[in-house]
Amino acid sequence: MKVKVILLLLLGAVAASAAWLLFRDGGTPSPTARISRDGVLLEEINLDQVDAPRSFVLEDESGSNTVTVEKGRICISAADCPDQVCVNQGWISGGTAPIVCLPHKLMIEIVNGGGTLDGAAG
Amino acid sequence: MEQPVKGAGRVTRLALLTAIALTIFMVEAQIPTLTTVPGVKLGLANIVTVYVMFSMGPGDALLVLSGRVFLGAVFSGQMMTLIYSAAGGFLSWCALILLRKLLTREQVWLASPVAAVFHNLGQLLAAAAVLRSWAVMAYLPHLVIAAVIAGLFTGIAAQALLRRLERIQK
Repeated sequence: MKVKVILLLLLGAVAASAAWLLFRDGGTPSPTARISRDGVLLEEINLDQVDAPRSFVLEDESGSNTVTVEKGRICISAADCPDQVCVNQGWISGGTAPIVCLPHKLMIEIVNGGGTLDGAAG
Repeated sequence: MEQPVKGAGRVTRLALLTAIALTIFMVEAQIPTLTTVPGVKLGLANIVTVYVMFSMGPGDALLVLSGRVFLGAVFSGQMMTLIYSAAGGFLSWCALILLRKLLTREQVWLASPVAAVFHNLGQLLAAAAVLRSWAVMAYLPHLVIAAVIAGLFTGIAAQALLRRLERIQK
């Protein structure tokens, strides 16, 4: 009985997660990258308005990350932390989980900036 | 339940189990990650945690867990990960205490996936606290699915371990 309840709860959690991943809104109409450190916004880039690819270095006392942006997408191309989780994550463009560099408390998330709210429906 | 191990025997056993857990942890850290989603891993060292929880009790499980988590961070040279492992470990430990009361010795395999889900939840909460943003919760669906799969795997391993070691101890 208890086994069934726990199994059902687990199954429910997995089903809900899978459904969330499958049915969430994939694209972001006007993707804007929001780069923040320690909860403080550092930079906001409208990815659709990036014409030429460019890189820049974000540095503080904990270390540095090199961020590269292209039209419609963004990634961390280099970091001086030991685990390289943020670099391995590669490009993100919208509708996906944020890039997080935990050692440097840095986060890049894609938000819907500027676009009409109606565009997100459907 | 078997007789509680006391004194030098208990200390020796805990030291041995911590060493085993740490070894498994370090070997697993060498395996390349399967996905780019941070935090997704097998968590083989938790076989030991589940085993100690069910065979020796919550206090001893916490000792082995905290010893492994701390030494694991020292040995892998990533002290920053300590916060996340500790938060995840503590939350899954709490879940295991409850599961220990609910489940019989034949149902130990089921404890691991639940504990794994709570482990990942704890990690995400710690990450959210560090980054001061709830945006990291976008990882939760990935991590729940990964935790259940990996947890079933380690749970079955812990069940097999418990059964076999019981036979040896008699």
